[in-house]
Amino acid sequence: MNEYIVEMSDIEKNFGQVKAVDKGQFNLKKGEIHSLIGENGAGKSTMMKILYGIYPKDGGTIKVGGGELSDISPKKAIGHGIGMVHQEFMLVNELTVLENIILGFEPRKKIVIDFDKARKEIKKYIDTYKMDIQPNKRINQISVGEAQRVEIIKTLYRGAEILILDEPTAVLTPQECKKFFEILNNLKADGKSVVFISHKLNEVMEISDRITVMRQGRFVDTVNRNATNTAGLAKMMVGREVFLNVEKKKAQTGGTVLDIKDLWTSGEKELSKIRGVSLDVKAGEIVGIAGIDGNGQSELIEAITGLRKVEKGAVILDGVNITNCSPKKIREGGLTHIPEDRNLRGLNRGMSIMDNLVAVKLDRKPFAKGIIRNRKEIYDFSKSLIKKFDIRPDDPQALTQSFSGGNAQKVVVAREVDAEGKLLIASQPSRGVDIGAIESIRRILNEVKANGKGILLISADLEEILSLSDRIVVMYEGKIMGVVKAEDANEDNIGMLMMGGIPAGMSEVAGGEA
Amino acid sequence: MKVTNKYVNLLFTIVISMLIGAVIMLILGFNPLEAYFQLFKGAFVGKLNLGTTLQKFVPLLLTAMAFAISSRVGVFNVGVEGELYLGAMAAAWVGFTFVGLPAPIHIVLCFAFAMLVGAVWASIPGALKAQWGVNEVCVTILMNYVATFITSYLVNGPFSAKTGVPQTPAVAAGVKLTQFMKPSQAHTGLFVAVAAVIFIYWLMSSSTIGYKFTSVGLNPFHAQYTGIDPKRTMIGAMLLSGAVGGMAGCIEVLGVYGYFLDNFSSGIAFDGMLAALIVKSDIKTVPFMAFFLAVLKSGALGMERYTGVPKAIVDTIIAIFIIFATMEALLAFNKKRKAKKDVQASSGKQSEQGGLKNGI
Amino acid sequence: MEFNSIFDYTLIYATIRAATPILFAALAAVITQQADIINIGTEGIMLTGAFTAVCISYFTGNWFLALIVSMIAGIIMSMIMAVAHIRYKADICAIGTAINMFALAITKFGIKQFLGTTGSFTDPKIAAIPRINIPLFESNKYLDGLFNNWSLMEVFGIIMVLIMTFMLYRTVWGLRLRSVGRFPMAAETAGINVNKMKYQVMVISGILGGMAGAHLSIGYSQMFTENMTNGRGFMGVAAMFFGSTNPMLAWIGCLLFGFTDSIGGRLQAYGWPSQFVLMMPYIITISVLTVSLWRKAVRDAKIKSSLVAEQS
Repeated sequence: MNEYIVEMSDIEKNFGQVKAVDKGQFNLKKGEIHSLIGENGAGKSTMMKILYGIYPKDGGTIKVGGGELSDISPKKAIGHGIGMVHQEFMLVNELTVLENIILGFEPRKKIVIDFDKARKEIKKYIDTYKMDIQPNKRINQISVGEAQRVEIIKTLYRGAEILILDEPTAVLTPQECKKFFEILNNLKADGKSVVFISHKLNEVMEISDRITVMRQGRFVDTVNRNATNTAGLAKMMVGREVFLNVEKKKAQTGGTVLDIKDLWTSGEKELSKIRGVSLDVKAGEIVGIAGIDGNGQSELIEAITGLRKVEKGAVILDGVNITNCSPKKIREGGLTHIPEDRNLRGLNRGMSIMDNLVAVKLDRKPFAKGIIRNRKEIYDFSKSLIKKFDIRPDDPQALTQSFSGGNAQKVVVAREVDAEGKLLIASQPSRGVDIGAIESIRRILNEVKANGKGILLISADLEEILSLSDRIVVMYEGKIMGVVKAEDANEDNIGMLMMGGIPAGMSEVAGGEA
Repeated sequence: MKVTNKYVNLLFTIVISMLIGAVIMLILGFNPLEAYFQLFKGAFVGKLNLGTTLQKFVPLLLTAMAFAISSRVGVFNVGVEGELYLGAMAAAWVGFTFVGLPAPIHIVLCFAFAMLVGAVWASIPGALKAQWGVNEVCVTILMNYVATFITSYLVNGPFSAKTGVPQTPAVAAGVKLTQFMKPSQAHTGLFVAVAAVIFIYWLMSSSTIGYKFTSVGLNPFHAQYTGIDPKRTMIGAMLLSGAVGGMAGCIEVLGVYGYFLDNFSSGIAFDGMLAALIVKSDIKTVPFMAFFLAVLKSGALGMERYTGVPKAIVDTIIAIFIIFATMEALLAFNKKRKAKKDVQASSGKQSEQGGLKNGI
Repeated sequence: MEFNSIFDYTLIYATIRAATPILFAALAAVITQQADIINIGTEGIMLTGAFTAVCISYFTGNWFLALIVSMIAGIIMSMIMAVAHIRYKADICAIGTAINMFALAITKFGIKQFLGTTGSFTDPKIAAIPRINIPLFESNKYLDGLFNNWSLMEVFGIIMVLIMTFMLYRTVWGLRLRSVGRFPMAAETAGINVNKMKYQVMVISGILGGMAGAHLSIGYSQMFTENMTNGRGFMGVAAMFFGSTNPMLAWIGCLLFGFTDSIGGRLQAYGWPSQFVLMMPYIITISVLTVSLWRKAVRDAKIKSSLVAEQS
């Protein structure tokens, strides 16, 4: 009798020219937590999306419960007990928690929805797995952590025995993670099988029974957790020894380049509204803002860069008040910005490398005289940047549309760093980027700092904050919980602050100016 | 490879539509070969025919370009018909009011005022879309009706020439554009239009303005982040689009009629818009498609005269052609649309983004 | 100008009468908008339905058959749009406008080919949609003016609003549709066939659009004129936006347009230039659209603002 409830063999998947999965292998035992790890673009998400029926496969076989499955659709996958919680939640904002959970599987009285029955069923899950949610609130009214619980309950409600979780801890604090792992263990004890897609090696080592590593679309190996460690996993993921700790030089600070005084701005969610944030950044230092995604960091950066209205307070850039100025004016004042969403803000995917690289300088000589553009100058400029920042492919006229995450980010970084502003804001610079590119981006940030610029770094990756920052500011629910010097900071006290608490052995530092 | 695909697809669509037209003609008892022959003869052979084709080409070209310009920034200016009418009325008014001005100044004044009126008219839906995300397709269509009513009131009321026909007084002789291919109505406005189109092409492809339009049209969020103001750019594009629409109206009055005639346009701007839609507002191909439509429209007259096949058949064929073209064109011209879709999909956010996107 | 003769009780029924063709168009737009499809082609579907209804009614003398066939004609038109947009990825505004042009062309052709004339066609042989006559009301001036002799379609229109509201918010199908329009990916992963639902709403829209046209040509009047819809399809779309895709609110919008249309006719009798009167519904629609989106922007800004005290 086959011990595997899922077997994927020799999976092939192409997206146009790009081979996303090449002879992919994966199997899952009943009642285990099996992590699927790899860098971005390794193919792990794609493999699972194929299993769940979102993408059709181009080759290979899939067996679930011993029987072969073909032409999988999400509906078919759900019918076979497979549920998936995606990185971007599949929740409809305008509908309620209840409506989202029952969607597609509504309890009905003929054609009408039986709302009472739905409420009763959901309460059962809340009680059994101790997951706290509010059925009558709309999705745009609840927190991210709660939304994730809604997603999990949704898969359970649909009868999932196999749960696929795609980077679930990306939005959780270290303490919320612990709680989340408890829920996973409850599920495991109940006989459910879990696929845990991640690139966070510490967590994977904590929670998994077995670990499968993928690299560049190919299967590398499946190991038992007990037979490996984080260093071993990293080596398998990248294929070489990885040095993630770039040497941090002590900051030689100069004058204040950024001064934020008592800033108030709107927020997409109640908890991300900024109410009275003050901080400063000096030339020659990196100030890192730590915090779980969704606690107002995006809104803060948008307010500083002129993309969101400042409702109260002031933003001062190198002595000049730029509050509510246009993005153009703010850039002219010396601000450069690597945005957190490179697809939405950072790049124009429909345009070429050279048009993207010249975007912030397009009105200036020598790239344009009046309204007439100088194509040759733009071309030469792009070629030199491509060389300097190792952008591939190296044709300035190539469209950026199908660039990988790392390559696309290089274009953004190249443009912003070349603009040589007084302040560089780097928002989630390593998100969705492969390890090789991460190394080079961190190196570049340290170079910029050494050149006497000020850097405001925002990252949900605590390791990144700790390795790069000279000072660390922790944000939680739109406010500053504390400011900690790099030499005093570690995962525990920063993690506590990120959750809104005050770490043991630390006096109250919350809310004050840095 | 992709580029040739685009043109091949277009040709394919034309052939299919003409085949369907042929089938319809057969069913009705006409000879399609003779009909198509007369169609093309009616468009090219003889001064009257060729001239009519050229004359019809001018407003089609300009209105198609007007639509293509606004499409660049992602705004569908379906209100070109309204700008056409208002521009025409503006030109007519300047033409018959300021008699006595030296001709060159007078003509420039006519054009300038017509373009100004068209631009201002188009800026209204542009501003509404930029600021509050009001659906411009709906608003511009409704504004067309308002524009037609305004000009109808004017031509039947205060500006009437009181001749029993709903027309304004004739414009000053010096302002009329020379008709060079009698007995047709082809006029020198053709050269003005071609010059304008060449300028617009240069503007879109080689100027910073063209870059800004393209950037905002493909990804307004990125454009905003780089320092381009998407709202201003959208309104700017609508101003330009409206100006071109107004110019089209002005040329019709000064070149074809010599006065403003109530309801003189039987949907010229819509035909122009469709010419642009078929080629997905690609500035390079728009003029050719506009010319092709002019050929069809002009030839239809000859076809009806010689074979009895009703003009409405040609309109039907054009409509079928457009239905197919909106489908086929998309298969080949995937690049820009895919870029847009990637932006929307990967942003992870859902519909609302305030004034920059369509609000429901 | 006699205020009383303009604003009297007969205005109420006149409003409903003028609003009904727009109402069916609006409902056609609402149902597709719930699937995130802006049905710009409503105008063309209506026109086709109007023509078909007159044709069938004239040749067979049977209004019911005419109504059915006009619904089928509406479905044909909407299915062309559906296939072009859903399967072949045509831009919805492009194919919508194309359908409008197509409708104009074939009805122009049809009026010559089948009805033997151009411009406008009317004939006593055209069977109209009947009115509901309640002899009991005839004795009272007010009851008679307000409730008597309603066209079947006018009654059915109101019923349709209630049915659609129920379908959208209380049924399984309605919930799935609302998810499809707002976040199709979420619907897909719930196992809902997004494209199937889109086709379904386009069929419904075609039926409603065809009915709208039929009411226009053999209910509201008994004739067919070239381009008879004259923007009413677009006003239906505007009413849909006015109501933020909610059928009940869209109905309010339609009543508003019916109101201005009726007032317009009355004012015209007093020598106001006809064009200003005829302009009014369009200007009001634009204003209504703008105001509703402006208010939405204000509301959203307020919800997101940090200056507002924390809401629970």
